[in-house]
Amino acid sequence: MKVRAAISAAVLAISLIVPADAFAYLTWFEFTRQSNIASTLTMAWQYGPGFYGTQSWRAGSGVSTDACWIGHGWLPTGYYDLWGHWNNYDGKIAGRVFYLQNKPCWNGTWRTELFVHSEETAGQGQYCPTAGDDPYCWEGPSDYYSNGCIKVSRAGYPSDLRLVHDGWHGKSGDSRHGYFTINNWLYVRDG
Amino acid sequence: MSQVLRSKRRRGLTVALVAALSAAGALTIWGAFGAHSAAPRTGPLTIHAGLENPPGAFVRGNGLFAKNGGRSQLVAAVSGAMIGPLSSVAVRSPDGQFVAYNTWQELRTVDSEQSFSKQAIAGGDALGTPSVRIRDDSGKDSLLERGAYSAAWRQDGAIAFVKGVEPQFRAGRSYDGQVVVRAGIHGHDAVWTKEPAHYVVYAWAGNRLLFYRVGLGEKLELLVADAPGSIRSLAEGSAIALSPDATRVAVLSQDATNVRLLDVATGGEVAWLDVTTATPPLAWLAYSGSWVSDHIVAPASAGLAVLHVGSRSLELEQVLSLDRSQFPVGVQVPRFVDADGNEIAASADIPSAKGTEAVSFLLVCDRIVRSCDRGEPAPAKEWLRLVDRTPAANEGGH
Repeated sequence: MKVRAAISAAVLAISLIVPADAFAYLTWFEFTRQSNIASTLTMAWQYGPGFYGTQSWRAGSGVSTDACWIGHGWLPTGYYDLWGHWNNYDGKIAGRVFYLQNKPCWNGTWRTELFVHSEETAGQGQYCPTAGDDPYCWEGPSDYYSNGCIKVSRAGYPSDLRLVHDGWHGKSGDSRHGYFTINNWLYVRDG
Repeated sequence: MSQVLRSKRRRGLTVALVAALSAAGALTIWGAFGAHSAAPRTGPLTIHAGLENPPGAFVRGNGLFAKNGGRSQLVAAVSGAMIGPLSSVAVRSPDGQFVAYNTWQELRTVDSEQSFSKQAIAGGDALGTPSVRIRDDSGKDSLLERGAYSAAWRQDGAIAFVKGVEPQFRAGRSYDGQVVVRAGIHGHDAVWTKEPAHYVVYAWAGNRLLFYRVGLGEKLELLVADAPGSIRSLAEGSAIALSPDATRVAVLSQDATNVRLLDVATGGEVAWLDVTTATPPLAWLAYSGSWVSDHIVAPASAGLAVLHVGSRSLELEQVLSLDRSQFPVGVQVPRFVDADGNEIAASADIPSAKGTEAVSFLLVCDRIVRSCDRGEPAPAKEWLRLVDRTPAANEGGH
């Protein structure tokens, strides 16, 4: 009898703290800068007051650690809004991409055109026509280098990119694509 | 037997002592008179505070400082907000009379640590306006163009820059513009690009103009315009330096590991170097260096790299390493400041950390003795930078 009461109480407590849509949690990302090709991207979601879940992946950004170096240094620290998300983006960056707000670095240089992405085609495939470094092909750890964007691996199944992408939709319950804004979607800090 | 041995040992010691004294003497003489004829060697740079004489004019905040330390007031503070190290923050005209400098009028204070939404900045809100101003020797300071940035002088006094489609830089919008060439400070404008994009002017190579198109993910593409509307892609990547005769350009690959010497007129490759397999190997190089005679200097993962340019070859000659605890992000925009290519000046930033403000230094280094003098620190937001010279014909490029 006591056990049944305890279970009922626990179920009641969980039902009170879990949102009505059990699959729509406040979800955001953190990028911890450790090195250009071995930093950590973490997805965090709040499934109740004081209750958080996290999942982390290896990620990279930039070639150098100077955040004021356009097209060369890693992302500046701070909070970023998300400005859009596409599944089949078709440009020099392609496939599943998350578009970040612009950000000034410590001397005021504006860093722009920044994304979270990987190396895949607009159709989310791999295109590896040469023995060298192909832009839509994940060859290995050197692909973590970027001009400033955050990059995750496209290797393996499921790839880290897929886990990031599906994790975002799954945890946030946000299925939007195209241009839209989510406040404070990413926090970049030093590790 | 033992006496013979002792005698031999004494004679050996005497020879060794004489040899050591001779070597010490030779080293002293070499140190005093021969250092600059010595071959440059790879190794760490030692840094000394107290740079007394900068190698040339420099800008900082709203000051233009002459080599002798004299200060002139600028109407607006210098800023490379729209260009970073891609282009000169301040550059002197070929005749030496004018300095073109980049400025930034802040329309809205932005806290770089906070998101736009946290600061109630909406998409489309104007954040600032870049402008190019001209200061002449008499002290006259005038606006060249509002809503413009990245100026480069041609030998005849024409000046190229990027003119924004609209003057303001806005949140959530790309700052698209056109590359414009003005025939002298008061001349007419000619638009050299066919369509607006995110461009940054780099430099003139004779009558050809080199400029960047900044793409998604800040991917850089180096373009060359042979004439208005006649534009070619030269390379995916960035420019390290132009040759003294302005016929070749050293370009860096997107991944910052490969340097190619390209003929500006044809785009043909003259030489190539993979710095990751050079001796010593480097993780990367960076753009915006300098080329004098047959030497190129560029920022590198270790600090600075000096390349030797042959007629059809490119070799890593020297790596000058910086103490990362002192200079955690290395140096930017290194320039040879002597004709022999032995002295290098560069800017070194130290990022903000734990409440401290980011600062910049000028470093002036002798690459033969591997020693640098460091200037006084300045807030990084004051853009302490040397004024670039526009090379005269057949003179070194940056």
